[in-house]
Amino acid sequence: MTAETIIQSLASGLLMGLLYGLIAVGLALIFGLMDVVNFAHGEFLMIAMYVTFFLFAFFAIDPLLSAPLVAAALFVFGAVVYLLIVRFAVRAKANAGMVQIFSTFGLAIVMRGLAQYFFTPDYRSVTNSWLGGKTVSVAGIFLPVPQLVGALLAIAAFGALYLFINRTDFGRALEATREDAGAVALVGIDKNKVFALGWGLGAALVGLSGAVMAIFFYIYPDVGASFALIAYVTVALGGFGSVFGAFAGGILVGLVEATTALILPPSLKSVGIYAVYLLVVFIRPRGLFGSM
Amino acid sequence: MNITRRNVLLGATAAAAFAPLTSRAQTAEVVIGVIYPLSGASAQIGVDAQKAFETAADLINKNYDFGLPLAKGEGLPGLGGAKIRLVFADHQADPQKGRAEAERLITQEKVCAVIGTYQSSVAVTVSQICERYQIPFLSADNSSPSLHRRGLKFYFRAAPHDEMFSTAMFDFFDAMKKKGTKIETLALFHEDTIFGTDSSNAQLKLAKERGYKVVSDIKYRANSPSLTAEVQQLKAANADVLMPSSYTTDGILLVKTMAELGYKPNAIVAQDAGFSEKALYDAVGDKLEGVISRGSFSLDLAAKRPMVGKINDMFKERSGKDFNDYSSRQFMGLIVMADAINRAKSTDGDKIREALVATDMPGDVTIMPWKRVKFDETGQNNDADPVLLQYVGGKFVTIFPTQAAVAEASWPMK
Repeated sequence: MTAETIIQSLASGLLMGLLYGLIAVGLALIFGLMDVVNFAHGEFLMIAMYVTFFLFAFFAIDPLLSAPLVAAALFVFGAVVYLLIVRFAVRAKANAGMVQIFSTFGLAIVMRGLAQYFFTPDYRSVTNSWLGGKTVSVAGIFLPVPQLVGALLAIAAFGALYLFINRTDFGRALEATREDAGAVALVGIDKNKVFALGWGLGAALVGLSGAVMAIFFYIYPDVGASFALIAYVTVALGGFGSVFGAFAGGILVGLVEATTALILPPSLKSVGIYAVYLLVVFIRPRGLFGSM
Repeated sequence: MNITRRNVLLGATAAAAFAPLTSRAQTAEVVIGVIYPLSGASAQIGVDAQKAFETAADLINKNYDFGLPLAKGEGLPGLGGAKIRLVFADHQADPQKGRAEAERLITQEKVCAVIGTYQSSVAVTVSQICERYQIPFLSADNSSPSLHRRGLKFYFRAAPHDEMFSTAMFDFFDAMKKKGTKIETLALFHEDTIFGTDSSNAQLKLAKERGYKVVSDIKYRANSPSLTAEVQQLKAANADVLMPSSYTTDGILLVKTMAELGYKPNAIVAQDAGFSEKALYDAVGDKLEGVISRGSFSLDLAAKRPMVGKINDMFKERSGKDFNDYSSRQFMGLIVMADAINRAKSTDGDKIREALVATDMPGDVTIMPWKRVKFDETGQNNDADPVLLQYVGGKFVTIFPTQAAVAEASWPMK
């Protein structure tokens, strides 16, 4: 094993990790806001990738340009999902936790089924995009441009999100609703509006990652499944509800995955992630940056 | 509102199963169960398979003038012209779902034979259930060699298995070496279910016997979100030939990641699967000029045997695609099974089994480049000669063995 292999692995792991963080942050945001785990998170990603693909296939809009459009579309989608489904699911008086789980889980199955019916199960790809297949090489270390741009986008998105939550009125309303939904109603903030916007924002972030992913990953109705699993462990590792935790968790997952593949056979690389997670549960069950 | 980690786990493990709607069995028809992944990661394979089987059923049930068994006349003459009715079941690439669906096909749909399954791991469980109920099972397109070595009496496979395919690859390497091409080191890249494992075991064994050095043997997890670490190791090993055994999704990601990491092998000789699929070439075909894949079918054959082209047109009308290595084997699977049921003159499992054992179908009444269809005592057809195909200018040409070849191999690939 040469130094070059190790640096290459860590660099690739870091890039992938930032993307994992970007995929997971929407999940963390929604959970932090209203304690609901969106089990259709992977399917949100799938829809975002299909939207990117169709914009490319029918209107020749490059994924880089369509990313804001996809994020906007997913924003609307996320808000609608809250208003039509989640809003009612959280009203359940008994077994509220289970009702939420199965409502979003059911949504995931329905979305996957509809995607298979309307988009067919065939594998799609965005071919010949501006960034697709391009690579920069620095001293023998290859950095694929799509992942590089994705990583930069992730950092920018996290920075913007941080400012947004801490510096704007809506961000403060979000934070206040998260702390005490009953009290904010007294000062005239519409809880449903804040939740809907929170879902929209969470989904928009998935939309952004979906647009980047579409540049270098294949697209099919089940594509969300393997990424959703990573998003869940990222959120759990970083701390449920913590936006910064999702960022750190994503980087950690990416690096652990890359390091495990260096030491163990690559087929076991996800074992490393879950081993680290179990260790974190043992030492700090609420996750690295969790604040429950 | 309280979500505990336990609830999260509960939700994650909850699974939904949809049983496909089916109709009742009727008399004067022969019901055959066809079990494929119709949803999930490899659903497209199942959707295409459905079209291949429907094409074969159409050929049997209606009157066509082809030199193929049962094409002439309507239905099965041995059973008074009974028509074939197919019942499709979805195993979602899951061996346990395959087991349950096979049981349902046999006990509720009353099928007299079962054909499947694409994934070899599912063929294992499906064929066990068929054995228990004494219903013949035919592997249309499974290629794991361990399948026919389990002492099952009701297991049959007309197509080649991975050892035969891999032997063809190594025969090809030997022939290329004789011509002066440098082939010394190999890199194996295979997924972690029975298909990839069996394929790499066969290749490891052959490499040892024939004196090739395996410099990298990478097993990866199927449907991985990233193959970067794996490709780095392949690149570091830099073997003369890269030999992937991958399904479509991983195949696409492999080729993309190779391009991103600047890895360009001299030659890729693939164990079929994803490397026979149109979706893979649609996605990354521009990076695969000159890739070689093994196969059991080639459209080149249409030049020698015109019915191959005509039957391909029938399939294309249904599916929008040409026959590939999978759909052609699926098509032949139903023809071979229906031929046996016709000769058995019965839908009894034992009688069909006896007829399958007695099968002796010459290669030129099939659409395959095979010598013949004749099963040995393990249910394997050893006369199914594999071919190697090279992807040149957007289509596949046969390059090996010499008697079937229409072009010379171009080596190294572009």
